[in-house]
Amino acid sequence: MTLAPKPIDERVVEKLRRFYRANRRLPTYSELAQLFGYSSKNAAYRLAQKLIDEGFIEKDEMGRLKPIGERLGIPLIGYVQAGFPTPAEEELIDTLSLDEYLVEKPTASFMLKVSGDSMKDAGIHEGDLVIVERGCEARHGDIVLACVDREWTLKYYERNGREILLVPANPDYPVIRPKGELTLGGVVKAVIRKY
Amino acid sequence: MNQPITIHSWPRAIAHIDADAFFASVEQALHPEYRNRPVITGAERGIVAAASYEAKARGVKRGVPLSEVTRICPDCILLPSDYETYSLFSKRMFSIMRRYTPEVEEYSIDEAFLDLTGTRRLHRTDYKEIGRMIQDDIKKELDITVSVGISLSKGTAKLCSKFRKPAGLTAVPGKHLHLLLARTELSKVWGIGPNTTALLQKHGLKTALDFVRRPSEFAKRLLGKVGEELWLELRGEYANRIDTIGKLKQASISKFKTFTPPIADRDVVRARALRNLEGACIKARRYDQVAGKLVLYLRGQDFSTDGLEIRLDRPSASPADLTATLLELFDHIYRSGKLYRATGVVLAELVDSMPLQFGIFEEPEKILKHRNIFEAVDAIGERFGKHTIFLSDGLKIPMQHEGPRGRVPKRRAEILHGETSRQHIKLPMLH
Repeated sequence: MTLAPKPIDERVVEKLRRFYRANRRLPTYSELAQLFGYSSKNAAYRLAQKLIDEGFIEKDEMGRLKPIGERLGIPLIGYVQAGFPTPAEEELIDTLSLDEYLVEKPTASFMLKVSGDSMKDAGIHEGDLVIVERGCEARHGDIVLACVDREWTLKYYERNGREILLVPANPDYPVIRPKGELTLGGVVKAVIRKY
Repeated sequence: MNQPITIHSWPRAIAHIDADAFFASVEQALHPEYRNRPVITGAERGIVAAASYEAKARGVKRGVPLSEVTRICPDCILLPSDYETYSLFSKRMFSIMRRYTPEVEEYSIDEAFLDLTGTRRLHRTDYKEIGRMIQDDIKKELDITVSVGISLSKGTAKLCSKFRKPAGLTAVPGKHLHLLLARTELSKVWGIGPNTTALLQKHGLKTALDFVRRPSEFAKRLLGKVGEELWLELRGEYANRIDTIGKLKQASISKFKTFTPPIADRDVVRARALRNLEGACIKARRYDQVAGKLVLYLRGQDFSTDGLEIRLDRPSASPADLTATLLELFDHIYRSGKLYRATGVVLAELVDSMPLQFGIFEEPEKILKHRNIFEAVDAIGERFGKHTIFLSDGLKIPMQHEGPRGRVPKRRAEILHGETSRQHIKLPMLH
């Protein structure tokens, strides 16, 4: 068994990547020290040396740090070594993860597990998960999460002139005409059912 | 005495944003039936961790035992803490703040400092209005309220956020700073504890203004460098910078776990202590640090706490090295027959793990092997959840769901199809 050096931490790389994206260059030694909370530039120098040894970065003729190839995960458009991306790679850049597709506003989205069958004709069944977005205006025809009698309930949001109606998607349930102030928990943006 | 401290209004604009009764507010945001009702969290620990404003109005305070709560407020809703959900809310709160300035210091789970200096033009409004916009966004998207204080330094911003609560918004520019300080008792100042208050009172000081009216040499002579910094802070001179890099390194790591009901069984208490050690080690390894000192605490049912610490021959963050030491400490403080309610492990004197040095009687091969094992344990943990692989003593820990009902947060009791007990979908659940 050999005394192999510890591999470079992915978080270190991520930090550098972020710096590179923001500044379009790698940090100087004093910036490195600041970035990683070192109190001396010597520690920064050691880290840089390690990154050089591992082939993440190199020094240019002026002694400045610069990335090699795509090891830092930084696409170097126009960089000779990187060559031209194939059309397939190009296409992959503009994709959404399922997560991004279902959750448009991550800071304002919540999940609710559906109970009851009052929305079954809208395709929302007991046990389904709905993604609810808070802080957006409800429009006529949206499915909303409303607070009725201190409980959350899913209903169609309909406006009839001044009146607001909460309409179920199941003929067995009555239409609710909220009296006084109506508290909305948000607007339904997606339904998820995993088998 | 009415002279301003500075004639400049906003040489810097620092905001302190503090969520109101955070844990309780999150529960109220998710459960409509808890709204406008007294709610407390911390039921699993037997004491109040957070009390909603409705509960506070009835006299319920933090740290009070549950029996006391049910006596003074019989209709209070007692909830177990759901730290997973609170953390999700906390992260969202911080990312909303980052829409307004990149300089956000996550000071604790429910409070942050922001440097707003120079953002007026960007947002086309004054600092107070920016504070209100952040407050509104958080209210609209998370349905919880925060109190905002804006002033020239972290210390003064914190005084402002405390000035009006809940949902308060207080902005004090430099030219009005003396008015705020004149109304602030020394003991209310961030960084002045009861002892410092007593000391300053002996010199005839009553308010924060009295303190900053003295020359800085006075503060330095009496309270040292810290006092001088405090003096600068309170004068709005921004001594304490906003730390946006965040907690890259920890000073110490502690893992405490209360178990209910209290247990006397030696094996179980020991297994709990070991589990805490494992947890602390995982965290230390995540920060790439090793501990020079190991501390063990055992807390009895009567809240008496025994602790023992030991300095390690070689800094480590591997249970393989630390288990034997911990068990030695355990044998010293465990009293058979005594009922215990909590164990705690602290890893202190943390240093970077890079320079690995071996003692003359140690076996480098074995140590490296152990390190590789725990790297693998961490990798598996990352994929399948923490503590997927654990020391076999952990088998003696009773299942999480045992114990009285209502002690486990809903989010942990109700696992969705496709989730595991350790890994949940990263969205808060409405109930």
